Amino acid sequence: MTRTLGAKILAVALGVSLVAACTSTSNDDPEEPTGPVELTFWSWAPNIEKLVDRWNTDNPETKVTLSKQAGGADIVTKLLTAAKAGNPPDLAQVEYQALPTLVSNDVLADIAEQAKPLKEKFSDGTWRQVTLGTDAVYAVPQDAAPMMLYYRADLFTQYGLTVPGTWEEFAQTARTLRGKTKKHFLTTFSANDPGWFAGLAQQAGANWWGIDGEFWKVTVNDAGTRKVADYWGGLVGEGVVDGKPMYTPEWNKALNDGSLLAWPSAVWAPGVLVGNAPATKGKWAMAPLPQWTAGENRTGNWGGSSTGVTAASKHKAAAVRFATWLNTDAAATTMLVRECAVYPAARDAQSGPALASPPDFFANQADFYPLAKQIADTAAGVTWGPNVNVTYETYQDAFGKAITGRTPFGAAVDAMQTATVDDMRKNGFTIAG
Amino acid sequence: MAGTDTATTGRGTLTGQPERSGAGTGGRPDGQGRIARLAPTAILLLGAFYCLLPVAWVLVAASKDASTLFTSSTFAPGDALVDNVAGLSAYRDGLFWRWMLNTLLYAGVGAALSAAVSGLSGYTLAKFAFPGRSVVFNVLLAGVLVPGITLAVPQYLLLAKVGLTDTYWSVLLPSIVSPYGIYLARIYAAAAVPDSVVEAARVDGASEFGIFRRVALPMMVPGLITVFLLQFVAIWNNFLLPFIMLADDERFPVTLGLYTLLNQGNTQPALYRFVIAGSLLSIVPLVALFLSLQRYWRIDLLSGATKS
Amino acid sequence: MPTATPGVRRRGRRTGIPYVFLAPAVILFLAFFLAPIGYAGYLSLRKVRISGLGLGRGSRTEVFAGLENYRNAVTDSELWSGALRVLGYGALLVPTMLGLALLFALLLDRPRAQLARFSRTAIFLPYAVPAVIASLLWGFLYLPATSPLNDLLVRFGLPEPDLLGTDAVFYAVVNIALWGGVGFNMIVLYTALRAIPPELYESARLDGCSEIQVALRIKIPLLAPALVMTTLFTMIATLQVFSEPMTLAPMTNSISSTWTPLMKIYRDAFATDDRYAAAATSVLVAAITLVLSLGFLRLVQKRAFGQEH
Repeated sequence: MTRTLGAKILAVALGVSLVAACTSTSNDDPEEPTGPVELTFWSWAPNIEKLVDRWNTDNPETKVTLSKQAGGADIVTKLLTAAKAGNPPDLAQVEYQALPTLVSNDVLADIAEQAKPLKEKFSDGTWRQVTLGTDAVYAVPQDAAPMMLYYRADLFTQYGLTVPGTWEEFAQTARTLRGKTKKHFLTTFSANDPGWFAGLAQQAGANWWGIDGEFWKVTVNDAGTRKVADYWGGLVGEGVVDGKPMYTPEWNKALNDGSLLAWPSAVWAPGVLVGNAPATKGKWAMAPLPQWTAGENRTGNWGGSSTGVTAASKHKAAAVRFATWLNTDAAATTMLVRECAVYPAARDAQSGPALASPPDFFANQADFYPLAKQIADTAAGVTWGPNVNVTYETYQDAFGKAITGRTPFGAAVDAMQTATVDDMRKNGFTIAG
Repeated sequence: MAGTDTATTGRGTLTGQPERSGAGTGGRPDGQGRIARLAPTAILLLGAFYCLLPVAWVLVAASKDASTLFTSSTFAPGDALVDNVAGLSAYRDGLFWRWMLNTLLYAGVGAALSAAVSGLSGYTLAKFAFPGRSVVFNVLLAGVLVPGITLAVPQYLLLAKVGLTDTYWSVLLPSIVSPYGIYLARIYAAAAVPDSVVEAARVDGASEFGIFRRVALPMMVPGLITVFLLQFVAIWNNFLLPFIMLADDERFPVTLGLYTLLNQGNTQPALYRFVIAGSLLSIVPLVALFLSLQRYWRIDLLSGATKS
Repeated sequence: MPTATPGVRRRGRRTGIPYVFLAPAVILFLAFFLAPIGYAGYLSLRKVRISGLGLGRGSRTEVFAGLENYRNAVTDSELWSGALRVLGYGALLVPTMLGLALLFALLLDRPRAQLARFSRTAIFLPYAVPAVIASLLWGFLYLPATSPLNDLLVRFGLPEPDLLGTDAVFYAVVNIALWGGVGFNMIVLYTALRAIPPELYESARLDGCSEIQVALRIKIPLLAPALVMTTLFTMIATLQVFSEPMTLAPMTNSISSTWTPLMKIYRDAFATDDRYAAAATSVLVAAITLVLSLGFLRLVQKRAFGQEH
């Protein structure tokens, strides 16, 4: 910043920069400079600063500066705006489903050259999320988020319920519970959490986007998704499953007082429960998600994130080195687990020393992490599309309306498909069919 | 505020009339007279109750721990107030207090600059006749009509071009111009600064800026304090601008900071306990400011009269 | 716009002075109001064009869109239903807020008002609470599971209302805005009342008029100009309603992402990354606000100010 502040204000005022702002900057990859480099890193993981400090101590020639961010959704907004303005960070934590959006906006760099060998460290499902099924690699996976069923073991015993192994049994359990008490629901269907629904749909075989040569395939209302929507729509319509959103004060209360007995969630759930309902410690248990067909072993992912390197970064090689260390180094992943409560995507780390004993909140379930690793290996991989944000926004509006208006959930899934395709066509993406 | 209150009572006693709640109809039964006398106070107290209820709720809720916040009866106080404040203070080495200081900086400096710029502009618009005066005034005032959302993204892109995003300046600079403040300052200047005084100073050979600073400004102070307070609240409450401009949470104001505690994404628990304690703490300085400057609260939209 | 008394007329050597004095405000205004508005106007005429999969470098270009974004906006039924909702919201909120503010101001201005200082401070207090925090507080008070109202009703075995249900949520949002704004308007009107010379109603009092009659026949007519201005500013703020429904939205199924026009702008600009559509809608909203404000001023100027002079 050489110019004085006054000059800058004047520059803006005179609209000099107006012209400049209209032309987006796209600098070609510069030569990697030698000598000490400084990297900026955006992340929202709690305590991630401890890992950054550790890296900086061990690698004084590659100094990483952290900017803590609010969360996965906000970071995408800010990355897009910052990239548009030409000043994004070198590295950013990005949720898997946001990767195509960022790639399509030229925010993230293809790091295949350096990162390709990392493939074997991750499960196929996880790896597919960072490659979008192409030859490119757009990020290094950080955490995996396989879904599983959490339930109140004490209340299950109290009401004489058994842990459902299939969704059919799950529905029956919900009915049995409502027959015994009107104070509780087995669980709630949340119109506010598209990522949750996406994970459930993945388990049923849904694959909302695909790349076929030079075409996108968009099938948000495929048979698997429809099956899941109809199933939950039936339960909510029947009144045996609640229709209130999750992550509200009301939902928090329900976790605390046992109004909700079960929560289909992901591997990170203990962290949420310990924060939101600390008094229920030891009362919960974890089981695999109910299956669509008895004897199957499948699940989906709810969330999970990766570390991407931006296209505008002047030190891509150094940035990939940091991202690789952060997510695959044994010491780093141990810290990720212990300090940041992250369930690592790296398969070695999933059976690492930090995950040898169960989370405190599930102290009486000794096999928590071995079971979690088994489940993680069964998580279906998907390809995310370039406008997941549109699909997700439509999910919230359409399912919110379906619940308040008591209309079939199938129509909401169709609305998601229509909105997604319309948006892609409007922007000029080539779509098959 | 004592001054105004005595004035109110004084006005009543000046007339030398007894209270006339029942006057005009005469011969009302006592009970009705008492109701007529008490009703106004009752209505005001009802209004006060309505306005204080949610504030009382924060106070009670801030005293509960993570479990009782959701399970105990709404207005049953807990005993964790100190724990919550301590926990919030300890969160990431006292980040919350940094947010408070940031907010104070944004709102304090921003509002002071805003009052200064508004004062100078208002004085100029009120006391000078020059070509384009009404155009300038009307265009500035039309700024009230533009929603903040419309401005935020282009503001960000423009500031990014000169490398000022994610700095204190990115929140401060756009907060300085307040169409509302200029509008008020113009009214105050017109009402509080007599033309004759300005003219006399000119005859004495004072420079124009000297006249503004030494003659007009002191007369406009009560009005400018109002402008300061209005802008202070506006900046304090502005969420969108810092949300767009700032990336590093070390520079966040408190509203944005508390928002991030609440919306950490699906995988983190919302820190309701801290957010509620933080909300309580963040209201305290504003309330203190209002109470201490209350006698300057004269938002007269038309006459600019500042009676004392 | 009612403006202040005409200033001192100056000619000759000092003519440059007013421009110098206005420079800081004008430069900042250009930089942070006009330039962004101009840029928004420019963006509203652009759109993005993607080729192929949109994944490679440079597959995304910005092109001229003509009026396409405006066409999409005016044919969007969601936008119009949001706009109608906001008009209904304003039609309910503005009179309620101004009515209550006027009532409180008149009550405070009564001779020998009791507990006036306490009431005034208490009613004004919510103004100090940021809308984001206010909505969170009210959210807790609305949600059936955490609401003290529902707590009470359950104890008496009465049915529980869902204050965030499809229809109720409209009033829930109105209430938050009312709570936050009534005190501010009360202070404005109270200040205006205090500026009325007491002589104007002393004689009415001597003639035996009750306080209610004094208020209706003397105070309120004199307040008309102040009422017009508070109404105008409240109206403008009303049309820009955003923070309250935005904060409540995650707590309920009843608030969609396009519940108000500004929420749609926010969604387009930040959630679905269509800043071009957002810019076009912004320009429309600003234009409609301008037309409504000017229309309102025209309407009342004939009445209120016509009487005055």
